[in-house]
Amino acid sequence: MSTFFAEHAWLVPVFPLAAFAILTAMGRGLKKTGAWIGTIATFVSFVMSLCIAIERVSGSAPDYSRQIDWLQIGNLRLGAGFEVTNLTALMLVIVTLVGFLVNLYSQGYMKDDERISTFFAYVALFTSSMLGLVLSDNLLTFYIFWELVGVCSFLLVGFWFQKPEAKAAAKKAFIVTRIGDLGLLIALLLLFWYMPGHALDFTTIHNVFDTQGGAISTGITTLIALLIFLGAVGKSGQFPLHVWLPDAMEGPTPISALIHAATMVAAGVFLVARTFDIFEASQAAMNTVAIIGAFTAIFAASIGLAQNDIKRILAYSTVSQLGYMMLALGVDNMPAAMFHLFTHAFFKALLFLGAGSVIHSVHTQDIREMGGLGRKMKITAWTFGIGALALSGIPPFSGFWSKDAILTAALDKQPILFVVGVVAAFFTALYMARLFFLVFVGKPREGQHAKESSSVMTIPLIVLAVLATVAGFVETPFNGWFGQWLTGDEGQHHVSGLVMVVSAAVGLLGLYIGWLMYVKGTIRRDVVTSRMPGLVHLLERKYYIDELYGILFVKPLQGIGKALEVFDDYVVDGIVRLTGYSVSALGRLNSRLQSGQVQAYALTALIGIVILLLAIAGRRFW
Amino acid sequence: MLDNLPVLSLIAFTPLIGALIVLLLPSARSQWLRIAAIIFTLIPLVLTVWLFVCYQPSIGGGVFTEHSTWLSIPLNKEGFKEGILSIKLGFDYHMAVDGISMPLLLLTSIISTMAVLASVHIRKRWKTYYALFLLLLTGIYGVFLARDLILFFIFFEVTLIPMFFLIGIWGYFGREKAATRFLIYNGLGSAAMLLSFLILIATLGFSSVDGANGSSLLFSGNYDVLLSNLTNPNVLANMDTEQARYFGIYLSDNMKWAAFILLLVAFGIKVPIFPFHTWMLKVHTEAPPPIVMIHSGILLKMGVYGLIRFAVFLFPEQIQSWSTVLAVLGVINILYGGILACVQREFKLVLAYSSISHMGIVLLGIASLEEVGLQGAIYQSVSHGLISALLFLIVGSLYERTNTTRLDELGGLAKTVPFMSGILLIGGLASLGLPGLSGFIGEFLSFLGLFGSMKWITAIGALGILLAAVYVLRSILNITFGSMPESFAGMKDARFIEALPMIILTALIVLLGVYPSIMTDLMQHGFTGLLEQLQTRMGG
Repeated sequence: MSTFFAEHAWLVPVFPLAAFAILTAMGRGLKKTGAWIGTIATFVSFVMSLCIAIERVSGSAPDYSRQIDWLQIGNLRLGAGFEVTNLTALMLVIVTLVGFLVNLYSQGYMKDDERISTFFAYVALFTSSMLGLVLSDNLLTFYIFWELVGVCSFLLVGFWFQKPEAKAAAKKAFIVTRIGDLGLLIALLLLFWYMPGHALDFTTIHNVFDTQGGAISTGITTLIALLIFLGAVGKSGQFPLHVWLPDAMEGPTPISALIHAATMVAAGVFLVARTFDIFEASQAAMNTVAIIGAFTAIFAASIGLAQNDIKRILAYSTVSQLGYMMLALGVDNMPAAMFHLFTHAFFKALLFLGAGSVIHSVHTQDIREMGGLGRKMKITAWTFGIGALALSGIPPFSGFWSKDAILTAALDKQPILFVVGVVAAFFTALYMARLFFLVFVGKPREGQHAKESSSVMTIPLIVLAVLATVAGFVETPFNGWFGQWLTGDEGQHHVSGLVMVVSAAVGLLGLYIGWLMYVKGTIRRDVVTSRMPGLVHLLERKYYIDELYGILFVKPLQGIGKALEVFDDYVVDGIVRLTGYSVSALGRLNSRLQSGQVQAYALTALIGIVILLLAIAGRRFW
Repeated sequence: MLDNLPVLSLIAFTPLIGALIVLLLPSARSQWLRIAAIIFTLIPLVLTVWLFVCYQPSIGGGVFTEHSTWLSIPLNKEGFKEGILSIKLGFDYHMAVDGISMPLLLLTSIISTMAVLASVHIRKRWKTYYALFLLLLTGIYGVFLARDLILFFIFFEVTLIPMFFLIGIWGYFGREKAATRFLIYNGLGSAAMLLSFLILIATLGFSSVDGANGSSLLFSGNYDVLLSNLTNPNVLANMDTEQARYFGIYLSDNMKWAAFILLLVAFGIKVPIFPFHTWMLKVHTEAPPPIVMIHSGILLKMGVYGLIRFAVFLFPEQIQSWSTVLAVLGVINILYGGILACVQREFKLVLAYSSISHMGIVLLGIASLEEVGLQGAIYQSVSHGLISALLFLIVGSLYERTNTTRLDELGGLAKTVPFMSGILLIGGLASLGLPGLSGFIGEFLSFLGLFGSMKWITAIGALGILLAAVYVLRSILNITFGSMPESFAGMKDARFIEALPMIILTALIVLLGVYPSIMTDLMQHGFTGLLEQLQTRMGG
């Protein structure tokens, strides 16, 4: 029943923040020491988070929250505070654990970079902001940290600032997610003005939308929910705002694992889960979430089939898996979404770190230029294989259980969504098989001297591989502990033998076809390319979404800009210049009146007097 | 001991004394001149900080008020009734401070200090430069402190002349045209303001003191008198009687509208409100960076201050019925400035158009006529002042090294000047409204205030934060990211004297972003009191 650690939960983000401050103040000279400062701070946060989680698992401790007045204007109060619930405790552990492992891994991965301490400073700032986001007890504080994690992501994507691709990717990541942020901001304003007492804290939101039905009209509720969802779509890379996430792979690979797989991109899912009562109050919003989620899952998975960059395949896979989570939320099964978020964090971080280990070794990201690395990089290959199995949904790895929970929930609500989910699962297994077999199996390339990464990089891989294997057992069809712990009720626990069999079968089928194509050679690799070149091209070009946005938004904005520039120069300023010229023209005219002729002067004086008289007379009628 | 000093006058006039002392120093001794200028900029800074410490938000700045009659001119009393002893036109020396002017005073003292430090790059005629600089400061402080219309007007004019020369002599290539443009526009604004003020003095400035032998009448521009006359229905100006009309004291609705619109134009030019903005583009690009820091950082805020002090609080009915107009103008400013900032090829123009966009947010805050929004408007003004001062500070230091501020000629500077690039990025992020930095609070409060009454307009205006992300990242990444032109290799990062103001401004931007109460508490009294008056007037 103790809440000792929960009461001090605010310390969790403070450690990395302190590390950030130290690293920034000390500058670049720190090098290796700086890396350790960041790593240790995150480790302390992890221990603290673990204590909080254990406290909450062992007893039925009540939720703990504390607020302070951040800003008071007239009789309006905007608060800031933190809250510890089972949901936040779970997120704390995920963020700090993955954060710590990534910190450790980066010690090896970034060791030759001269800006290594800047890197660790950014990572520390990110970790701190992400933890702040998780702990926020109200939507305003949440929004503040939401933007901060976004800017950290921007900084880290653009970490290698000299590369033009990194520059473009960083810019794109920030601007595209900001479209979503705008939605969240307007949702925030709406909530502020419609909530009783201008309350923005999650507890009040829960109470208002859960119990007092009708306090806010359905139309407004739907609008608020959809705007919040827009924010989530931007952050979690859902269609149609997914375009930034694959480009964000320009950042260092540990960042892709931490920010663009395990934590920040999952913040959108967390946001919807945190404000879930608003969504539950609007069926239209729920349907939107489910449809967007399901569509993104299959859409991104299909693109993943045709990519050749190891990190981009994983990026599209992330987009697709986040789609699954949204699907789970949309079919009203929040625990399933959080469960998948939990397992995905481990196996996707594992896959990215494994990919980083490969890239670090062979200095290319193109899977067509790799092969047979399994023999030289045993630990990387084995752990990557475990991650791939977990992602493909093969029992008993963790991904199987969480995907199964989502598919079960989808089947309950809407069979079409279930079918979409199953097809996407098949694609997932297929592209992972392709990736794994092309990289680790087959003949080694000439001239590639691949060797296993140092232990500081492989230890995190092993830890994550263990987690990716066992993390699923917290919630299986035979054991509903996780969902019950998270929501406090047992209601949503279903067993479906059919779903288990189907999902395991499509996963295995995908892997088998991949094996036939890329190892055995029974099916020719270009079987699809030769028959349907158009389709493959469409997938390779990612359905031309980027090009479409170029035509729809970028070009028109530039066009309007150019047009306004002309308008500003010739019309607005033109009128000014015209006025200037006419005044000086009038001046010249007047100077011609100074002719010395008394009659002309008298006439001018007369006109003046008449005007004055008229003005005075007119004054009376005002 | 300090309690008996006329602090407000000291703040306003020490720079003037400094200007005179600078004039007495030998013009060849650039170091002496510089040190004198810094000292006389620091004294008001110390005084305003002291004022800030002593200022009690709960009771306002009443104790600091300085009031004396400066000049009074007897008028012809013919035509008035019997029993009138005298009619006078009085000019008051009336200085005061409240929650609205306090943040702007602090802003002025901070930015002027940073600007005087940044003047290290000024290359010629130091003596004249620093003398004009200090004279300009007196004008600005006076504007924020004066509570008499005539006094306000004089201080307002005092800012114009030094600015004209500072732009025209020490500016870039097109400096003379820019200076002329500046003077013409602001001269027109001043004319409109003067006209409006005269209407106000002739009608609302009327007060009478009844004695045993009769009453003495006084016309003056005392702001407090104007405000109380507006609230009092028994004042001649508010009575549509024969007598009041005959002497022209009655302030008819049409007259009010005329005065209101004149004020809107006068301060609208300063803010600037579209379409009166073209002059400030020229000033932003042509004036020397320290002067742009003052201009963009403080002078534009005089427009905001004037709008709130005079247009909002003297004409509540008019502003109420025009709040939508003001909000739409604000949205136009935001989008027009934002879109144009996205296509500029010159960094200084990006910043100029972004200023237009940001001042649009201020207009939204004012248009809300809610306490939150009005505080947001002031907050945004202060924040924008700090941010644009910081950005122009860096522009000045960069130009010294690169000799260009064109975006296509810059690139990859993060490699050679990482410190300045980092600060530039922070400034940019603050400008695009990143939470944790001051820009966010101002924008958020303004949007929050207006959203209650005009949801759609606010939502459209909020698109500005998206545009801000586009133009800020486009321009700043163009400067600091990417590959670097060969010629910039071996460039030196900021010297201590350049870095110091950058660090101070950054620290303030972070402070205001994390701990906004430090400023909002200050404003509490000013707005709450005035808004209550406004409410009663609107109710009655």
